[in-house]
Amino acid sequence: MRRLLRLYRPFSVALAIVLAALALRPAAGMLREDENPRDKAVLDDVATTEVIGDVSTSLGKVFAYTPDGVAATEQAAARELSGAALKQYRRVFGQVKAQVAAQRVTLTTRVVRAGVVSLDGDAARLLVFLDQTATRGGKPDGTPAAAQLLVTAHRDHGHWSITELKSV
Amino acid sequence: MPDDTLRRTATALVVLAALFAAWAGWSWYAAAHDDAYAYSRVRDEVVRAGEQGVQNLNTLDYRDLGTGLETWRNSTAGDLHRQITEGRADFEKQVTKARTITKARILDAAVSELDERSGKARVLVGVEITVTPPDGDPATKQSRLIGELTRTSGGWKLSKLGQAPTEGL
Repeated sequence: MRRLLRLYRPFSVALAIVLAALALRPAAGMLREDENPRDKAVLDDVATTEVIGDVSTSLGKVFAYTPDGVAATEQAAARELSGAALKQYRRVFGQVKAQVAAQRVTLTTRVVRAGVVSLDGDAARLLVFLDQTATRGGKPDGTPAAAQLLVTAHRDHGHWSITELKSV
Repeated sequence: MPDDTLRRTATALVVLAALFAAWAGWSWYAAAHDDAYAYSRVRDEVVRAGEQGVQNLNTLDYRDLGTGLETWRNSTAGDLHRQITEGRADFEKQVTKARTITKARILDAAVSELDERSGKARVLVGVEITVTPPDGDPATKQSRLIGELTRTSGGWKLSKLGQAPTEGL
């Protein structure tokens, strides 16, 4: 009995330490609780600036055409877009193309503001506000149109290309 | 002899418990002192506050102006708060006369700037606003808003709000 009593101390120390550890571990988990802990939007300012830059430049090229420069626009699209975005673009642009030449339409697109919604490794989603100005036969065709796009981009060899385009 | 076995078991337990405690303590410390995690939590908080603020400021029912405008005041800080407070009487008159109900639906939002130190942030918010007049059909339009948020003791609040592109935002 005396022997058992002597061991009471080390056992209670062990128990106390285990209890402390049990309390700390979930606390660490709670501190880390996050929607997506790998989301580096804004936090990684270099990647954030890069993806905004690449996507804005791409949109400016892809959503711009002149009656005699349709081929250049198509080439830009093939370079800057991929996947679903390219397929969707070709479908829409195929319908527009004939009018562009016939009605002497030009379009310019300016990115007003862009922000990164999420950034996880080589995948990013952006919210882009853009203004589109069209002219028909050299005359302004209404006021600039305000648009919002939700863009999905993917980084490949350091360059962000657009994989999905969704009008908000 | 049985005393020895017990003692060894006890020692082994203490060592194991200490190792477990050290690991748990380390992971708690790492989580608590991880700047990246702290920053991303603030960013998520700012997006939520921005969305909620824009939602609140685009929601108003002429039948319950008191509650609506109180929510406006509670969602704002700085310049915007002052404007709402100062313009309240006039604004109430206008809305009461127009008898409109305004509702908003947030489409998407992104943080474009976040300075934790100065407690300032900027958000882009795409929103769909529906205004229902007393007679006639509801009119829905999409808006591109840019908001500036300021950290206050009551959380992040909108201190500026405007259509994109807009002066000073």
